[in-house]
Amino acid sequence: MIELEQITKQYPGQVMPAVDKLFLSIPKGEICVLVGPSGCGKSTILRMINRMIEPTSGIVKINGEDVTRTDPDQLRMGIGYVIQQIGLLPHRTIAENIAIVPRLYKWPKEKIKKRVDELIVMMGLDLEKTRGKYPSQLSGGQMQRVGVARAMAVDPPIMLMDEPFGAVDPIARTHLQDELLRLQKEIKKTIVFVTHDINEAIKMGDRIAIFNAGKLVQFGTPEEILTNPINEFVEDFIGRDRVVKKLNLYLAGDAMEPIGCVVKEIELQNAAQKMKDAGVEVAFLINEAGKACGQITTSDVEEFGKDIEGLRKRVLRTEKAFVQTTTPFPDALSLLLEYDADYLGILKGEELCGMLSFKGIRKHVYRKEDE
Amino acid sequence: MSWENFRFALFEKAPEALLEHSMIVVITITIAILISVPLGVFLSRPKFKKFGLVTLNILNLLQAVPGIAVIALALPILGLGMKPAIVALLFQSLLPIVRNTIAGLLGVSSDVKEAASGMGMSQRRILLEVEIPLAIPIILSGIRTATVYVVSIGTLASLIGAGGLGNLIMGGLALFRPEYLLVGAGLGALMAIFLDRMINYLEYRITPPGIRVE
Repeated sequence: MIELEQITKQYPGQVMPAVDKLFLSIPKGEICVLVGPSGCGKSTILRMINRMIEPTSGIVKINGEDVTRTDPDQLRMGIGYVIQQIGLLPHRTIAENIAIVPRLYKWPKEKIKKRVDELIVMMGLDLEKTRGKYPSQLSGGQMQRVGVARAMAVDPPIMLMDEPFGAVDPIARTHLQDELLRLQKEIKKTIVFVTHDINEAIKMGDRIAIFNAGKLVQFGTPEEILTNPINEFVEDFIGRDRVVKKLNLYLAGDAMEPIGCVVKEIELQNAAQKMKDAGVEVAFLINEAGKACGQITTSDVEEFGKDIEGLRKRVLRTEKAFVQTTTPFPDALSLLLEYDADYLGILKGEELCGMLSFKGIRKHVYRKEDE
Repeated sequence: MSWENFRFALFEKAPEALLEHSMIVVITITIAILISVPLGVFLSRPKFKKFGLVTLNILNLLQAVPGIAVIALALPILGLGMKPAIVALLFQSLLPIVRNTIAGLLGVSSDVKEAASGMGMSQRRILLEVEIPLAIPIILSGIRTATVYVVSIGTLASLIGAGGLGNLIMGGLALFRPEYLLVGAGLGALMAIFLDRMINYLEYRITPPGIRVE
């Protein structure tokens, strides 16, 4: 746990303090995102945690201990540090770069090599090809992977990340974000993550701290912040589309409804009757292999009547109108719009396990908004 | 021009002169490196940057004094011989090395330094393992400039009795023997080119592969 107690940072020659009497406590094992417009002091706060910057007044505590009591180099060796510019040593190979902190800890060579190899693989890089390369031979995305690997080398409990994915292209950024989230599920580090991008904050943060002009404006989970922005500044900062942004927080599985009726492909002609009996508007079709392969709505049945072939064609048009339980709402919505459908089947792996409707999404978001 | 004079200059006079000249160059450059590199390192530390500017200005001024004037000034103060010559030449060779050391060290990307310090490397370690290795090509290039400089100005050192290839050149001028002149100046030029190429190669070899421009 990291606690900032009445931290103030006043740069010489500036009227306004960069950080003003800040209290913030960052819980263990979570990703806490510091977000705000540029110049709001978020990087300064991050850098005061590992004493790259010393606060003018106030105390930074890590697990209850005042960081100014430890030697700054010792302190930094125990905290992972990733910056936007990455800062790999250009004259050292990738393996040597990752080995920097283990070497500072004087690990035995064998142990260092094992750990470096493990990290290169963990970061999804080709072990044999990457190990001996120099940073200039890698792409931006690959370099930042190495940057993250280097910060995790000695498995520090705390990682500080200053706009770590700010300089990589959007595709690589999404990948890196997803991978960090996936890794975090296993490694459960306390991560302080600075960004100016609210979308990244919502995606990455277990908790978000929004700053403006050196002051903490709001601190809470993404859901809390999107649901109840505390003032106009936060509202503006998260944007007019805050409810749409909120969709990112939910997964198809959250609003899953039970399926009323399943029809086998070979008995398509009975579909109308079956749906009537079950009293449902939509049924899902299953082929001989037991795989979900489309949906039938009452309007389809009405439109085609006895024209089974026409119906089959219509049904198979929605062959891909399925999402996984883990699909986020925006992707599901996009599919709903793409197929001009009211429902989507939800799969768990290959198996049909429920359905998602426009209405369900609306209700889910509305309910959350209400709370 | 006579072959006899030429032969005499090349085989009888030149070996000793060349040896003396090499000694002047090697001793001067070694001392220059020993003074300039630490000075450059010192002046590139954040705390002493403001002294750096002053020192560079002073050295620039020294550089602006013509070599022959320095040698001439050294005579009344330091007397005759090789030692005063070396002191005089030192003045001329400090600047390129100090300047390049400072430029090389300050040229190391601040991102790299920030990352290194953020990982817990001490300032000393950052200097030895990060800054100097990255600045080495530029420092060496300063040493190369200084070396070539000392080889050429070194010929003037014979004016205050330091010997070297200057003896052949001055002798040739005094005795109207162009052969002596040719041998002295020619060997001086060859020596300058040779040392320049040698340090250039060293520069290439010592540059870490990751920052080599191929």
